[in-house]
Amino acid sequence: MKEIFWNSIADYNAATWPWQIVMMSIASVLTFILWFRPSEWAKTATKIYMVAVSLWIAFVYYMGFGSARDYSNVMTIFWCMIALSWIYDLATRFSTFQRSGKSGALGLVMLVLPLAYPFISVSRGLEFPQITTPMLPSAVALYMLGMLMTFNKKINFFAFLLVLHWSVIAISKISLFKIPEDALLAAACIPSMVIFVMHVLKEYDRPHKPSYATVRMLVMAVALLLAGCMIAA
Amino acid sequence: MTQEYIIEIANFIARYLSYMLGAGVHTSRVVRNSKRIGTALGVDVSIHTSQKTATLTVSDKDTRIFSTKVVDIPAFPISFEWNADLSALSWAAHDEKMSLEAIEHKFDELVSKPKMNPVFVLFMASLANASFCRLFGGDIWAMLITFTATMVGFFTRQHLTRRKVNHYIVFIVSAFVASICASTALALGIETAEIALATSVLYLVPGVPLINGLIDITDGHIQIGISRFVNAFMLIICIAIGMSITLMLVKDSLL
Repeated sequence: MKEIFWNSIADYNAATWPWQIVMMSIASVLTFILWFRPSEWAKTATKIYMVAVSLWIAFVYYMGFGSARDYSNVMTIFWCMIALSWIYDLATRFSTFQRSGKSGALGLVMLVLPLAYPFISVSRGLEFPQITTPMLPSAVALYMLGMLMTFNKKINFFAFLLVLHWSVIAISKISLFKIPEDALLAAACIPSMVIFVMHVLKEYDRPHKPSYATVRMLVMAVALLLAGCMIAA
Repeated sequence: MTQEYIIEIANFIARYLSYMLGAGVHTSRVVRNSKRIGTALGVDVSIHTSQKTATLTVSDKDTRIFSTKVVDIPAFPISFEWNADLSALSWAAHDEKMSLEAIEHKFDELVSKPKMNPVFVLFMASLANASFCRLFGGDIWAMLITFTATMVGFFTRQHLTRRKVNHYIVFIVSAFVASICASTALALGIETAEIALATSVLYLVPGVPLINGLIDITDGHIQIGISRFVNAFMLIICIAIGMSITLMLVKDSLL
């Protein structure tokens, strides 16, 4: 199973590396525009990019090159759901892709982290094409998380939860497929969960129970549990 | 006792019982509590309940003045807190001989308490499902996947409910979303992946309507009991539809 996993990554990289560079370039340009000259069209284009990159992972990576893996169709459906969450966001114009002035630095770090994937692979003795790249599912999920964190005034929470689910999968992959690069996503998802949930809690205009402090403690406890699982993995 | 006073009592008890029935309290308790409040206020209360409406007659034996009301039962979320608080209110009214104004004031106070935090419910339901996964033999990876799969499914449910989507559709979509997320465990080759898949939809099981249906039937409220049973079974069928879609897509079969 582990061999099939790495062979499919090698085939994918060998066949699609020019396209991967194109996709990464588009992502970089859109991120720069959103940061320096935010505009309505750039926000819409970013959401369209999110849909496109999710469908790329679903159909090109999983349905195309990952079809030899067991249950790769499940992953195709899952990434289609992520695409659907961005289509829904696009239709309802829910998330604003605006900076809130908080956690922006952390978001920038997360945006840069996908670029570290190939370097980590090379540093542990792997060679192209059998290396991880920024256009693999976990790196793409990390990029999405970075975008949500950087432009976090009003976020697509459904997409975040799907990325969180993917992060849990990434945690298990560290142990099951010996892919330590996924520790980056796993490490990024834990503070993101705390920050985004706190953000949602502060948005409520009516009083709720239990108190804010109790819910915060619960979220922290879950975050620590996830961190414990990651360390154990 | 004047006609106006009887109407006021009828109006209050109608509101009281509609809130209790709407919050998922079983019928015999609602009837018992309403009658207790009536006794405290010196009137007789007769109640007929159905799934969507309730009819009550409040009468004074001495003056033979009566008032009949038909009230819609609102669809509130299941609330054990309202169940306990409003039951205690009926006892307080009876034991302390409270006036109608005092009972109404206390009632308004109880039903306007802050609601549960949706984020708290989201996390607790997800933790509960992960615990179920462990109880059924799931390993740590299956538990983690069940936790986040439930989170995604439960959030979908909360979001669609807020948007006032038909609740049968909400159940189908939520069951599908949670189970498709949990099915990612299959792709990882986790040994207990099927336990994660099976337990990811447990948060949707309509336990309270099922129990209430059974209690109502055994207490002689056959009509509303059957209505509640049918309603609960419809929801179970919706969960089955959502999960079946996942199984057909993922495993190419229903088993």
